[in-house]
Amino acid sequence: MSFKKIATVAGLALGSLVSAQSNAHHAFGAEFDANAPLTLRGDVTTIEWVNPHAWFHIEVTKADGTKEAWRIEGGTPNTLLRRGINKRSIAIGTEIVVEGYWAKDRTNSANGRNITLANGKKMFMGSSGTGAPEDGADK
Amino acid sequence: MMHSKLVLASLLLALVGCSPSEQASSQTEQAGSSPFKLSGDVKHIMQWVLDPAVDGVWDSAGSIITAAGTRELAPTTDEGWLAVEHSAAVVAASGNLLLMPGRAVDDEGWRNISQGLVEAGLLAQAAAKNQDSDALFDAGGQIYRVCKACHSVYVQDDESLD
Repeated sequence: MSFKKIATVAGLALGSLVSAQSNAHHAFGAEFDANAPLTLRGDVTTIEWVNPHAWFHIEVTKADGTKEAWRIEGGTPNTLLRRGINKRSIAIGTEIVVEGYWAKDRTNSANGRNITLANGKKMFMGSSGTGAPEDGADK
Repeated sequence: MMHSKLVLASLLLALVGCSPSEQASSQTEQAGSSPFKLSGDVKHIMQWVLDPAVDGVWDSAGSIITAAGTRELAPTTDEGWLAVEHSAAVVAASGNLLLMPGRAVDDEGWRNISQGLVEAGLLAQAAAKNQDSDALFDAGGQIYRVCKACHSVYVQDDESLD
């Protein structure tokens, strides 16, 4: 499978989303693959505004029409606030494009770097100094 | 409640040591240069004391937002808040455990970070005592900043934290 993956998604049941709440505190390299960048397009279904990392869940509709749920790890809430993102910045149902890095275990999980909204506005959603590749997204 | 009991039990184990023979050994050591008997290394403090406690703080503040609405994670009962207060107290105590002779890697830097953990834990403890969910969330963020600062300096090839 190409590392540069464009998906278009659809949804997850609320129960499974909430149960997927993660408080993982780990280094980027422990869970995510710096050699597996990906781009996902999907509708936001859940935002976990929690420490130590915020999580954004999206529904991607694949080319065959089936839907996949993905969970995207963001920076700390404090970091996101400094970048102008709060827990209400992205409404549930909003279509976003996420650039990030795929989980090493190849589950539908990724470390997010940038979010791009439908109007073209791009926001950095990660954290600096995490071990993620220096791609200039946080500059 | 069970969670906080486990956390406190872990802390007590870390603080005290368990068996009478160990206590006797400890008393012997007290006659020496240090009154402390280490009951685990830094990794043990992280895994068995600090990590479970800080999860108790982080899991009790924040929001889950879905199309169905927003669910706040803050406790809704006095008992729930007390459990968070206990977890926060363990976080603060962990900072002091890191300061014990035999655990510190160096002097000033280690001391500052350990004291920062104590302060952040106390902030969380006060927030829980006051049942202030916003303050608890902020304190949780401060705890993480201390964790990250420490790992960035003292943990090489760190895969435990980002």
